[in-house]
Amino acid sequence: MKGTSFALAAGLAFAVAAFAQVPPDPNNPNEAVPEKHTYTPYGETIKLDVAKKAAEAAVAESARRGWAMCVAVVGPTGDLVYFEKMDDCQYASIEIAQHKARAAARYRRPTVVFERLMGKGPFFSYLPTLDGFIGSRGGNPIVVGGKIIGAIGVSGGTGSQDDTISQAGAKSVQ
Amino acid sequence: MLTLEDCRKISAAAEAEAKKNNWSVAIAILDDGGHLLHLIRMDGASPFNARTAIAKGRTAAESRRSSLVWEERIKAGRAAMLGMPGITPVQGGLPIVAEGAYIGGVGVSGVQSHEDEQIAAAGIKALG
Repeated sequence: MKGTSFALAAGLAFAVAAFAQVPPDPNNPNEAVPEKHTYTPYGETIKLDVAKKAAEAAVAESARRGWAMCVAVVGPTGDLVYFEKMDDCQYASIEIAQHKARAAARYRRPTVVFERLMGKGPFFSYLPTLDGFIGSRGGNPIVVGGKIIGAIGVSGGTGSQDDTISQAGAKSVQ
Repeated sequence: MLTLEDCRKISAAAEAEAKKNNWSVAIAILDDGGHLLHLIRMDGASPFNARTAIAKGRTAAESRRSSLVWEERIKAGRAAMLGMPGITPVQGGLPIVAEGAYIGGVGVSGVQSHEDEQIAAAGIKALG
């Protein structure tokens, strides 16, 4: 009991000291404070006919290559607008395709960005603690007229296959 | 087993029924295990409609009966049915039967519940 109290007191003392000042880590690339905040602004939610066109292009490209994919199209908020599972696509991809699309929309960037940062090492190990994070390529924003109107997520093959199909879908409506 | 071609037929017929009536809805098609195979959310339908369409369709697919059956059981006093796993007891979800076998479900959300079911039925009818 006495030992526990001592350990607790020591821990609190450390915590207070740590709160007062956390010295910067010169090796951590996250310490840099960028001058500008660059991003693509959101637009109106993608229309169903546009979402269908993007998914159709993605599914057609998958079929041409003999790949079985799941394709999800979401609006800027990450909410589902269109979904298709090709015959023989693995069941796990039903959720993963939606997750990739949602993350690409809500984080306003292709999910390959996350995958690449994860590969850079321990300074980016905080990323999976962010809400709705997915560290796998295959999710891409759908940008029309300089605005994000939605995103398309693809899953079913390797990450590189997924991203090839996802990009084909996103580009078809640009 | 429902193919993508089947799903597209069902979805197109259901969407046509909704358009004919000037209704904006979400239409979800799931296999017999409740896995999402196809979804459309028409312009004007909400994210809530998409989630509800999936939930109603899953109810019908997994329990092999209309989601209205669940609604009516509860209305008749079987409150215990509210605790059944994965059940959304609201009209608008129908099972898909082909050659005497249950192969999935269609769920619709966006208008009045009986109208949602009307759209789901139109979709399933197209499967022949």
